Amino acid sequence: MSASAPAVAIRRTEPPALVAWLATTDHKRIGVLYMVTAFGFFLLAGLMAMVMRSELAQPGQQIVSAQTYDQLFTIHGTLMMLFFATPLAIGFANYIVPLQIGAADMAFPRLNALSYWLFLFGGVIVLLGFLTTSGAADIGWTGYAPLSEVRYSANVGVDLWIVGLALSGASSIMGAVNFIATIYARRAPGMTMFRMPIFTWNMLVTATMILFAFPAITGALALLYIDRHLGGSFFDASRGGDPIIYQHLFWFFGHPEVYIVAIPFFGIVSEIFPVFSRKPLFGYRLVILATILIAGLSMTVWAHHMFTTGRVNLPFFSIMSLLIAVPTGIKIFNWIATMWGGRLSLRVPMLWAIGLIYVFTIGGITGVIVASPPLDYQFQDTYFVVAHLHNVIIGSTVFAGFAGIYYWFPKFTGRFLSERLGRLHFAAWMVGFALTFVPQYQLGAEGMPRRIVDYAVSTGWGALNLLSTLGAFLLGLGTIPFLVAVALALRGPATAGDDPWGGNSLEWATSSPPPHHNFRRLPPIRSERPVFDERLARAGIDPAAVGVEPDVGPPGAGAADVAE
Amino acid sequence: MPSLAVRRTMFLALAALIANGCLPVPATQQGRQIADLYGIFAAGSIVVAGIVWVAASVALLRSRRAKEGLPRQVSGNLVVEGIWTAIPLVTVLALFALTVATLSGVDARGSGGVSLHVTAFRWGWTFTYPDSGVAISGLPESPPEIVVPVGEPVHVTLDATDVNHAFFVPRFLFKRDAIPGRPTTFDFLVQEAGTYPGACAEYCGVFHAAMTFSVRAVSRPEFDSWLASARSSPSAAASAGGSPSASPSPSVP
Repeated sequence: MSASAPAVAIRRTEPPALVAWLATTDHKRIGVLYMVTAFGFFLLAGLMAMVMRSELAQPGQQIVSAQTYDQLFTIHGTLMMLFFATPLAIGFANYIVPLQIGAADMAFPRLNALSYWLFLFGGVIVLLGFLTTSGAADIGWTGYAPLSEVRYSANVGVDLWIVGLALSGASSIMGAVNFIATIYARRAPGMTMFRMPIFTWNMLVTATMILFAFPAITGALALLYIDRHLGGSFFDASRGGDPIIYQHLFWFFGHPEVYIVAIPFFGIVSEIFPVFSRKPLFGYRLVILATILIAGLSMTVWAHHMFTTGRVNLPFFSIMSLLIAVPTGIKIFNWIATMWGGRLSLRVPMLWAIGLIYVFTIGGITGVIVASPPLDYQFQDTYFVVAHLHNVIIGSTVFAGFAGIYYWFPKFTGRFLSERLGRLHFAAWMVGFALTFVPQYQLGAEGMPRRIVDYAVSTGWGALNLLSTLGAFLLGLGTIPFLVAVALALRGPATAGDDPWGGNSLEWATSSPPPHHNFRRLPPIRSERPVFDERLARAGIDPAAVGVEPDVGPPGAGAADVAE
Repeated sequence: MPSLAVRRTMFLALAALIANGCLPVPATQQGRQIADLYGIFAAGSIVVAGIVWVAASVALLRSRRAKEGLPRQVSGNLVVEGIWTAIPLVTVLALFALTVATLSGVDARGSGGVSLHVTAFRWGWTFTYPDSGVAISGLPESPPEIVVPVGEPVHVTLDATDVNHAFFVPRFLFKRDAIPGRPTTFDFLVQEAGTYPGACAEYCGVFHAAMTFSVRAVSRPEFDSWLASARSSPSAAASAGGSPSASPSPSVP
């Protein structure tokens, strides 16, 4: 009896690796699954973009048919927005948020696992359209009705697109509930709201936005499905429906969505600037307020995508859209102020974060331009808007996404990504980004519509399109150093240690990777930088001597404000 | 990091591109107002981008002089944060005021002139002059060309028969969505004679890229004689009361 009991226990705690990953409810493993899957979709959608750019490099059709091209831009946009950007944020948050608040796991670990599997199969179902005889969905990632009605798009790929999106939407809503519950209920003793790391704050705001925004797209998709197969006529004008309602529903989701995929990544660089400047985040509370303002305003601006319908209140949606520039500007200035007077360490995570300031600023400014309806009359549905949306989404999601991977990879694995390959990766993306999208601004201003497979020689758009295509290939090739860096790091020895960067938040107070339940001990939490505070105390430095402002909040561990 | 000189050159190149390169020369009264507004936004953009890029670059350069050890742990400053909240707020309010002023000009309806009904369909256009009964229809293999008088407002009523489309003439700096069952109206007034290419700007299916048309602006006498000949001798390009009943089968563009 006593001899067999330990053997049973050992078998139970160490299932085969594959089973362990498939059956996991550990937030760290689910986080890794999310990030790896999202990155896979990113590579796939990126390859689709390179095929599209090859087609557009010269006037005349050379590479793909119009049907294929339409499928490519539809699935490219769908994958990038809903199966890369959103789940990448959720992946980071899965891994990092419980660590940052000193929790052992998410509030609902099994719901968390369900979210991941719904997301994965949602993406697979969308992609299955390519295996059908009529091809994948070809209605644009916005899926505007009536084009998406069965009369104009009878292909089953559109139905797969609807089902895949509905599954991933359900996944996002479950994830949002889980993050909100986790952040409210599972913070460690002493972790008051205004001691939460800024990334966790950004995720709390993002999760709240998901709860408001995603039900709208789920509803729109349900109505569309009813129209297609159950005799509905919600969006069919010839039978009393209204095509514009679809646009309202889509953008009531779609515009918050672009902030849903930006705010978590603003959170990541808001972690990186302080650590690599050796200073606290400048204006921590104002940055939180700005985040909440962006979230609130983002729910009121959806119809700026519909200025050219001639059927929305132009001044209202214009002023709300313009106002978002203010809190966004606050963030950018506060990041610069964080660097100001700091001792900067220009490691790869910091390079991406600084690159974000340079790149995202242009996207923000062109956002102000298209927020003005008369200017939007020219730019709507042209390559100007294509350049703008890639500028803001690559500028936030991709730049900060890479920043976050280089920053937290040592925590995920105990290993550094190569600094040299990382710099090459960053340089290729800075140059490739400008080369791809600056010409597109000009093409759009000249009137090149988006979603066209071809253009006439007489338009004179060939040269700029060729430049843009070269840039896209540079972005594609520039990703290879990153993949090599990951492969090399995973084969190399674990040299990073617990806290390789001199971090501030609690994920740096445990081992790399953290043990199953995350922490063996927690430092006292008396500010938003508990690990910094402890490092200072260990070095025997008087906080007041280096300008640390005394904390006026409630005391730390063991006090009455225990969160659980 | 690139040197300051390189960055300065990049910035000047970008500024030049935004200020000079971007928009086509507007051909309409409305387009001119839009271009004027764009000039103000572009100038503001260059200033804002300059401030952010220079501030970030200076913060980077200053850190080279930072001493060893921990820098001063400044956690914020309400005065400067107030400044960079207030200045952008005032800026966007000013831009909004200019936007509203321009909007009332662009969306204003003139009197006199010519009425034009535009119907978009997959994948072509029907243009009808209701006052004279002339209709012009065209598919991608022979895109339609409409004729309008210079210096007079053209009152457009726009709709679509199947899916969403958009009427877009880049030299007018203007587009409007054509949505089935939801007609909209707008005016344009061409100031300069010439031929201006137009296209569908809202994705509408497989031949979206080929759904083009053009607008030829001529003097009033020329317009009148064109209208008269179009009415008396209906041809393939211009037919009285023609409607797009045949299902289009254009060649792949």
